[in-house]
Amino acid sequence: MNPLIFTTILMTVLLGTMIVMMSSHWLMIWIGFEMNLLAIIPILMKKYNPRTMEASTKYFLTQATASMLLMMAIIINLMHSGQWTITKVFNPTASIIMTSALAMKLGLTPFHFWVPEVTQGISLTSGLILLTWQKLAPMSILYQISPSINLNILLTMAVLSILVGGWGGLNQTQLRKIMAYSSIAHMGWMTAVLVYSPTLTMLNMLIYIMMTLTMFMLFIHSSSTTTLSLSHTWNKTPLTTTLILITLLSMGGLPPLSGFMPKWMIIQELTKNSSIILPTLMAIMALLNLYFYMRLTYSTSLTMFPSTNNMKMKWQFETKRITLLPPLIVMSSLLLPLTPMLSILD
Amino acid sequence: MMTYIVFILSVIFVVSFVGFSSKPSPIYGGLVLIVSGGVGCGIIMNFGGSFLGLMVFLIYLGGMLVVFGYTTAMATEQYPEVWVSNTTVMGVFLLGLLMEVMLVLYVLKSEEVGVVFKFSGVGDWAIYDTGDSGVFSEEIMGVAALYSYGVWVVIVTGWSLLVGVLVILEVTRGD
Repeated sequence: MNPLIFTTILMTVLLGTMIVMMSSHWLMIWIGFEMNLLAIIPILMKKYNPRTMEASTKYFLTQATASMLLMMAIIINLMHSGQWTITKVFNPTASIIMTSALAMKLGLTPFHFWVPEVTQGISLTSGLILLTWQKLAPMSILYQISPSINLNILLTMAVLSILVGGWGGLNQTQLRKIMAYSSIAHMGWMTAVLVYSPTLTMLNMLIYIMMTLTMFMLFIHSSSTTTLSLSHTWNKTPLTTTLILITLLSMGGLPPLSGFMPKWMIIQELTKNSSIILPTLMAIMALLNLYFYMRLTYSTSLTMFPSTNNMKMKWQFETKRITLLPPLIVMSSLLLPLTPMLSILD
Repeated sequence: MMTYIVFILSVIFVVSFVGFSSKPSPIYGGLVLIVSGGVGCGIIMNFGGSFLGLMVFLIYLGGMLVVFGYTTAMATEQYPEVWVSNTTVMGVFLLGLLMEVMLVLYVLKSEEVGVVFKFSGVGDWAIYDTGDSGVFSEEIMGVAALYSYGVWVVIVTGWSLLVGVLVILEVTRGD
């Protein structure tokens, strides 16, 4: 793609999300979502093969439907409250429709079916933008309408998302689909605590973005999209295997690493609000997630996966410089001791 | 009949929307779009918005739809689909018509209709001569306000349209 056009379109994606996050008029928010959707389509279609076309079409159809539902919720809210400013949504019908629309945009169950297929059909960099930046705008709107969200619907969607994200990722060997199911599960964790403490949703979003960014950059660095090609990284850059191990375990939520912090805080907040079965279920279902991360680490860093003998003798090493990888790795694994600092957020 | 003119126009509006969203070939969609544009213009004009109705005719129908018609005429197939040629298209069209007819009967028969919001029968569509806004009409002031208080909206909308063109060119360019 022409670099000037590519830069313009990428900047428009950023502008769309910025407009969503900083507008106070519902119509401008809708315009921001549409601008975001329109501009990310050519980024998803960077390579012109039928898979990317199909993935972009699926993404466009689901997100356009979600935007239509959002507009309907906005208009119902307008009819019942007579004003366009963002506050809590006053009408329960409008609130339910808006929650469903934003859940479709995020990829929560039962609207999660597009996430693995779209993520698989596009390149690694586009998948990175899809799974991290595109989650910011809907989450910011959920944050702003959080006082009026129907708890039953949101918690059902969250728990089902954690279940689907864990269960669905079990049979995958393609790395992009694994990351997609991981995204579904993490979105479930984030929305579970939204009604109780929206600050923790934002904390989880921040740490999730850091970890996913790190994972994708490690994949891009070793140009691997399947488990099999990831298992050859011991030969290409042995250091990357350790980093993949640490980051994957952090994503699974294991204690000395940063990924444990949001899960811990969320479980604590949920138990403070006297719901005990729910966080127990959520923690148990996060084990499914941990299982397929462990399987990746097993084939990548803990064992030398079976390969033919000539693959073991590599003589051409290329160096790719990936921006910001060292700080990201540090942040996605070592932030846990900073947890007491969260008290400044209250 | 004149009191319920907006209701009748809105029914024709919805029927023509059903007509093009049941997806016959684009050239017939454009035909129905002309009808819906004209009817929409009538609805706006009944509320006193003569400037905006003129905008619809001039810019939308006379500018954008003409360009659309020319490009579709260049790219159309030899036997384009009509509403009666394909069973699916006819089925969807009839389904949409049926739902609109049922809704119209529901509105006409009952005093109060409550689907998601309540409105009290057909009377809600009738326009009474209210609001003496004096010398200037409200909708011209609205258009003027778009460029004074609503500068950000103009900038965002203009940018979206420009990026829309860039995106469409990128997507259809191929390899």
